[in-house]
Amino acid sequence: MTKPALYFSFGHPEGSGAGLAARSGAAGRIERCDIYAFDEIDLDLYGALLISMHADQRFLAGRAERIERFLLEGGTVVANGHVAYPFLPGIGTARTLPHYGLDDLRILRLVEHPIWAGVSGEDLTFRRGVAGFYGRSWHELPPGALAINAVGAPDRVLDILHPVGRGRVLLHGGNDLWQFGGPGSTARLVPQFLEWLFTPESRP
Amino acid sequence: MTLAVLDGGTFYHHATIHGPRYRELFDRVIYMRELVPADLDDVGLLLVPDRINPDLLRAQSDIFTGFLARGLTLVVLGENQVETWLPGIAWSPRPTNFWWWLERDAVPEQRLVAPDHELFAAVPFTDTVWHYHGVLTPPAGARTLIDVPPDAQGRDQGGALLYDDRSSFPGRAIVATLDPFYHHGSNFMPATTRFLDGFLPWARQVATEARPHA
Repeated sequence: MTKPALYFSFGHPEGSGAGLAARSGAAGRIERCDIYAFDEIDLDLYGALLISMHADQRFLAGRAERIERFLLEGGTVVANGHVAYPFLPGIGTARTLPHYGLDDLRILRLVEHPIWAGVSGEDLTFRRGVAGFYGRSWHELPPGALAINAVGAPDRVLDILHPVGRGRVLLHGGNDLWQFGGPGSTARLVPQFLEWLFTPESRP
Repeated sequence: MTLAVLDGGTFYHHATIHGPRYRELFDRVIYMRELVPADLDDVGLLLVPDRINPDLLRAQSDIFTGFLARGLTLVVLGENQVETWLPGIAWSPRPTNFWWWLERDAVPEQRLVAPDHELFAAVPFTDTVWHYHGVLTPPAGARTLIDVPPDAQGRDQGGALLYDDRSSFPGRAIVATLDPFYHHGSNFMPATTRFLDGFLPWARQVATEARPHA
C-alpha cells in the first residue's frame, strides 16, 4: 500500500494515535485527524482508515455509505471494539454474554494469518494471569469473510477479515489491536499488523 | 424533574445507556454532538458519563455552567478532562495500576472520607473501588468523599477520586475519576456494574427531587 493510513482521534490525548504513528513499522505512513473532520477529508489520499474502539460509532453509522465506497474502491478499514451502530458493510451488531467464565474468554486460533503468526492464543487470552483483555465479543461472520480468532467457541468470531469490493475490512471485536504487545508472543502483533497494513500483496 | 444522560456514541455508551439493565432509568438520552440548552429545561440531574469526547465538552462548557447556575445537579464521571471545562479543578494523572488486586493481601489505596454522605447509602464504598487514572484537587469548599494518599513516587500530594461541590455554584457538581460506563459497557469489570446498580437509581432520585432556582 503506497498511500498512508489515516487514524481517527477522538479528543483524548492518549487516543491520539501518536504512539502507533511512532512505531518503526509505521515509518511516517500513519497520519492522524479528528474523527469529526471525516466529512472534510479526501479519502482518496489514504489507503486505510484506522478506527479505535473509542470512536463515535453513531457518527460513523451516518457515514456508512462513504465508508463502503472507500472499501469498494480498494481501501482498507481496520475497526476495533463492539459494533453497536453498524457502519461497515455486512457487519451487524456485536454479541456478548451476560456472564463470562474462563472458558468463554479463551482466544482460539481458527486459521493462521500473518498478523497473528507466532502469537499464541494463550498469550492473547491471559495478561498476568487475567483473561479477557484481548476481546470478549463476537460478530456474525459475513459471507466470504475469513474468521481468524474466536473467543470461547469457534462460532464466536473475534477477528474477522472481510473482503469488500477491491478493499477489505479487518474487524477486531475487542480492545484496540494496536495497544497489544507485552512480554511474550503478543509483542509480535503490532509489527506484524503494520507489515500487513502496508504490504500491497497482503490481500485477504 | 428528570434524569438526563449524555451519549458519546461509542459502543460502550450505547451498551450502558441503551442496554436493558439501565435504560428505564434514563428519562432523556442526549447525543453529545446534538446537545442544546433547551434539552435541559426539565432536567434535574445531568449525567456526563465517563469518556465523552472532551473537545465537545469544552465547546459546550457554557451549557454546563448555565445548568449549575439554575441550581441543578451535574454529575461528571472520569476521563472527561473536567478540569478544562469546569472552573477551579486541578488534575494530576497517575500511571494506572490495573493489577493492584493481584498483589498478596492487596489493600486498595482508596479511602472513604465521608462515610455519612447520602450517596453511600445507595452505593457501598467497596463498589467504588477499582483502578483509577489520576487524582482531582477539588475547588475550595467542595466535600471530598473518596480520596487516595500522596503518590508513592511523589507525582502528587494525593487527591480526590469523588467529591461533592455545593459551594462553587448555585447548583451541585458531583465529580469523579471513576469510569463505569466504559467498563460496564465493555462487559468487563463487575465492580463497575455494581456501582451503576446503586448510583443510577440514586441519581434518578436526586433528579426527581430537584427544584430549579427561580
